[in-house]
Amino acid sequence: MRTTHRRHTYGRLAAFAALTAVAVALSACATGGPTSSPSPSATPTGPPVADATLTVGLVLEPTNLDIRHTDGSALEQLLIDNIYEGLVTRNGNEIVPRLATGYTISSDALTYTFELNKGVTFHSGATMTSADVVASFEEIRGDDSMHSHRDFAGVESIEAPDEHTVVITLTEPNVNFLFLLGGRAGLVFEEGDETDMRTAANGTGPFILDRWIQGSSVTLKRNTGYWGDPAGVAEVVFEYITEATARISTILDGSVDVLVRVDPTLLPEIADVDDLEVVEGRTSATGTLAFNLRKAPFTDIRVREAIRLAINHEALVAALGSGQTLFGPIPELDPGYQDLSELAPYDPVRAKELLVEAGFEELDLSLTIANHYPTTIARLLVSDLAKVGIQLQVNVVEFPAWLEDVFRGHNFDLSYVEHTEARDFGNFANPSYYFGYNNADVQRLYARALAQSDLDASAELLAEAARIVSSDHAADWLFAATSVNVQRQGVVGFPHDMVNARADMSRVTIVAE
Amino acid sequence: MIRFALTRGALLIAGLLVASAVIFLTLRVFPGDVAQLIAGTHATEAQVELIREKMGLNAPLIVQYLSWMSGVVQGDLGLSLITGAPVSEELALKAQVTVPLGMMSLVIALLIAIPFGIASALWHRRWTGTAMNVTAQALAAVPVIWAGMMLVVVFAVWLGWLPAQGFPRTGWETPWLAFRALLLPALTIGIVEGAMLLRFVRSAALQAAGEDFVRTAAAKGLTRTSALIRHGLPAVGLSIVTVLGLQVAGILVGSVLVEQLFTLPGIGRMLVTDVGTRDLVKVQSALLVLTGFVLITGFVIDIIHRLIDPRQREAL
Repeated sequence: MRTTHRRHTYGRLAAFAALTAVAVALSACATGGPTSSPSPSATPTGPPVADATLTVGLVLEPTNLDIRHTDGSALEQLLIDNIYEGLVTRNGNEIVPRLATGYTISSDALTYTFELNKGVTFHSGATMTSADVVASFEEIRGDDSMHSHRDFAGVESIEAPDEHTVVITLTEPNVNFLFLLGGRAGLVFEEGDETDMRTAANGTGPFILDRWIQGSSVTLKRNTGYWGDPAGVAEVVFEYITEATARISTILDGSVDVLVRVDPTLLPEIADVDDLEVVEGRTSATGTLAFNLRKAPFTDIRVREAIRLAINHEALVAALGSGQTLFGPIPELDPGYQDLSELAPYDPVRAKELLVEAGFEELDLSLTIANHYPTTIARLLVSDLAKVGIQLQVNVVEFPAWLEDVFRGHNFDLSYVEHTEARDFGNFANPSYYFGYNNADVQRLYARALAQSDLDASAELLAEAARIVSSDHAADWLFAATSVNVQRQGVVGFPHDMVNARADMSRVTIVAE
Repeated sequence: MIRFALTRGALLIAGLLVASAVIFLTLRVFPGDVAQLIAGTHATEAQVELIREKMGLNAPLIVQYLSWMSGVVQGDLGLSLITGAPVSEELALKAQVTVPLGMMSLVIALLIAIPFGIASALWHRRWTGTAMNVTAQALAAVPVIWAGMMLVVVFAVWLGWLPAQGFPRTGWETPWLAFRALLLPALTIGIVEGAMLLRFVRSAALQAAGEDFVRTAAAKGLTRTSALIRHGLPAVGLSIVTVLGLQVAGILVGSVLVEQLFTLPGIGRMLVTDVGTRDLVKVQSALLVLTGFVLITGFVIDIIHRLIDPRQREAL
């Protein structure tokens, strides 16, 4: 896996920086991003501290811990690879064996055979066998209300020929199947377990759930009976803090070792602290500006194109202080990515012309945006669109209201949310999704891409489909998100890439200075 | 006296009933529900409907209300829709932060209000008294959030004496750390509430200074100050007790804001999160408990008022 991060080093806190923080928080306005030059990170010298506690500052807390039923990337971030493990897992964008020692795929790409590691035990002490794997998967397959139910839609059978072998047969090839198994769908639970998974946990992972203080933190303890290499630290604490300035103060006063997804506009505050390092991790999250394609004026491609041309993506990314521009539905880490910037260059003059052609000298639109996103986004959209004659009214709503009005009710003009899932291109091949994008060519290409056994051939088909989606201006992609993280010197091996979705803490160590 | 208590008690119960209906209905106005949130963006409409059915969210509102209330009267506040944990347990856990925070805030408010309020009344013709009064007016108008931020800047960032946010994971097993964590939040509420209370104390003291019995005491040879302190203070105490009932509600509201600002895992922060996740069973029970607390405080204060004010007793 490629792990070239942009690394910056900063020096010591000045009192006025705190005042700046207050001012920034009060006016809720952004002021430019990190201004520093890359420098090599200090090489840690000492040995890892075996009884160390690693404290990580995150933003969104899981609503509950029931990863089999409850949606949300916060659950995956906390639980997958740490508490629960699957047959395979994702390492960045690569699929690697986990509970399985390896797997073979039949030449017709329909039969997947997994050999299981021996000596794997659950936190309860029970030994894991192929029966647990089959039971876990069959339960999801048979229960419509479970989160990953649809991931098993193309599965014909799940069998356990012996205690350490699992064979899954598909009805048709699915190039994404292993990837899905590397997510929630593939997690293995103890058969007949009675643990209330909403607040407790019983997995096979390198950490055991120690304590969840709702509204505050989750503590994990090293699983001393772990079947693989034991975790590098004795204890991991995830601290959940949403308020941006409060978050920055936790890394300044030393109460966290790593702060994930810092508001980059607050980075000047840590500019003078010597032992802190800023690392920008990549993600598959895309800031998606959806158009309600089911209704006018968005049924007119000229209006959609005009909106895309009117948005100054470079300026937006610069104002946010993190992320990269993205001009199509597939981000760089996912298969099928290509540079599509030529399809929506910043051109407000042309945008205005297109709107006039479409008969809209003036246009009143609304933007529905969930309240946990930076206000900068809506502010810049309002000003960019005003320049071409579109008056944008911003409705800031809570996430459940977004789900109700936009996702379920399809009652919106423009909508902004960050789509965090990797490989979620399928949403553009699903006409009942809230985008309302219905293009037979795209659906056909996507189906063909899934049916390929060759990954490159599949990626090529996806790229072709993505180009159509972007040429159709089915939505606008404001940016591909990156996660700007700050870590204390001495923290080694923190998985900065994709940390919004996965945070495997077992390989992280803290070394003595 | 007993008749008075009974009437007040009946009013209290009626108030709680009305409150329960209002709370229940207003929460149903929020768009979106917990089933949709749990299913998120990954499920089909049919899947969400299945989850909704399993959670009992499809029952008619009146049925949901009655089943909630029949639990409440038996002391059962229900289970969280999200975690399945009993609401009473969650409340008790979060109260370990909010109750000490409220008490510390109250003590700080009283420590500010009583001495400075009386002093500013005694010196109301001098510039010191005026200065105190003006300061109090200004402080009482300060938004709690802003006061908190300023205190953080001074005591946590500049001086580094107190933590800027958070509550120790060890809770009250480490009393000193827990106390330190609550000090800035309590100061934030205490200063603003204290400034408000100060003005009540001042006007009560001024009024008392003009009362016949204080003037009589002064005429008997006491100085004005000692006449006020010895004979006027009980009257001042009465009005403080009355206002305290209002302050309790103010402190509760303040704690919601302050717990957000300082990331304290208390009842206020829990409520904000639970509204965000549409865990309505938990929110409505928690709100009912808080409403009950405020109403009962008011009830108790009415009774105390009766007991300690001889004028009211004679009027009965």
